[in-house]
Amino acid sequence: MSNKNHPYHLVDASPWPILASLSALILMSGIIKWFHFYNHSLLMIGFTSMLLIMFQWWRDISREATLQGLHTYTVTMGMRWGMILFITSEVFFFISFFWSFFHNSLAPAIELGMNWPPKGIMTFNPIQIPLLNTLILLTSGITVTWAHHSLMENNYKQSTQGLMMTVILGLYFSLLQGYEYFESSFSISDAAYGSSFFVATGFHGIHVIIGTTFLAVCMARHMKNHFSQIHHFGFEAAAWYWHFVDVVWLFLYISIYWWGS
Amino acid sequence: MASLCGRVAVSSVRKNVLCTSYRFASKVTMGDPIEHATGLEKRELLAKAAGNENPFDLKVIKRGPGTKAQPNEIPSAFDARLVGCVCEEDSTSVNWMWLHKGQARRCECGHWFNLVHKAPV
Repeated sequence: MSNKNHPYHLVDASPWPILASLSALILMSGIIKWFHFYNHSLLMIGFTSMLLIMFQWWRDISREATLQGLHTYTVTMGMRWGMILFITSEVFFFISFFWSFFHNSLAPAIELGMNWPPKGIMTFNPIQIPLLNTLILLTSGITVTWAHHSLMENNYKQSTQGLMMTVILGLYFSLLQGYEYFESSFSISDAAYGSSFFVATGFHGIHVIIGTTFLAVCMARHMKNHFSQIHHFGFEAAAWYWHFVDVVWLFLYISIYWWGS
Repeated sequence: MASLCGRVAVSSVRKNVLCTSYRFASKVTMGDPIEHATGLEKRELLAKAAGNENPFDLKVIKRGPGTKAQPNEIPSAFDARLVGCVCEEDSTSVNWMWLHKGQARRCECGHWFNLVHKAPV
């Protein structure tokens, strides 16, 4: 190892890729079983094994970075490009839902009463909880930037506070979104409106939960002193992801909640 | 058993509360970034701090005379290195070849290369 004089990270053998693939197979079979028989036993097995594998795989990566010092400048540049390409693919994933929403809403079919929102759909009031949610996500964008600048200023205390507030705002958003879903007068089965509304906002909600988890992991790592002033890409990736989720919400709010109501 | 569990819980809570309150009481940093790093990452940071912007010799090397008597010297910490020769300035391709330690080698364009040992950073 001491003779190594290249900046690349040649990874050690790991059980996680094959185990993650097998658990993805179980997870997918579990979803199919759930859809067809309304029984979620296999889904829970797949979900649990996937969560355990994700935890251990990412634990290994943070050990390689923090405790083994394997993440050189070149390696972090590779991860930066990986995250940029991943978020780009996520942008296109959401574009597909906006495409179907505008396809259905810009020229509503006769079956919908040639109206948007369709006849009989009671939409949410955009200036109530959805506007509060917009405010929450915009504020969390500020607090995550505060946490980032505190990290770059080598300020442990304020980066902890900024991260803590971002995670709390993320949880608050999910809570309010859950309340809205609970109160909703229409369901995912209510024709084009219900489908496009719940698929788009539902996938956004899952992304908020993933982003909040990502930021919470960063907070735990920060409290274990994993990050330094110049090396904290795990946090930066979480912040990029969080900004992406924030921007998707602005588009959802403007097009589906506001214009679409 | 219950008292043992209780003691473990109380001591870990006390430790965390004291540790956290200490951290929040004073201006606390994450430490010096070079001291914070370890392993290869630290070796790279130390090399850069010492003024070596190219610690792994990955940048393009400008070719010298490249004769048999004065071959182009290619640094490596290994026994062999892949070398790409841009034979002419306007060349649209790179000619790759393996260069082994102790065996000077000539590219098909006529330039000579020799592997010289360089200690790892």
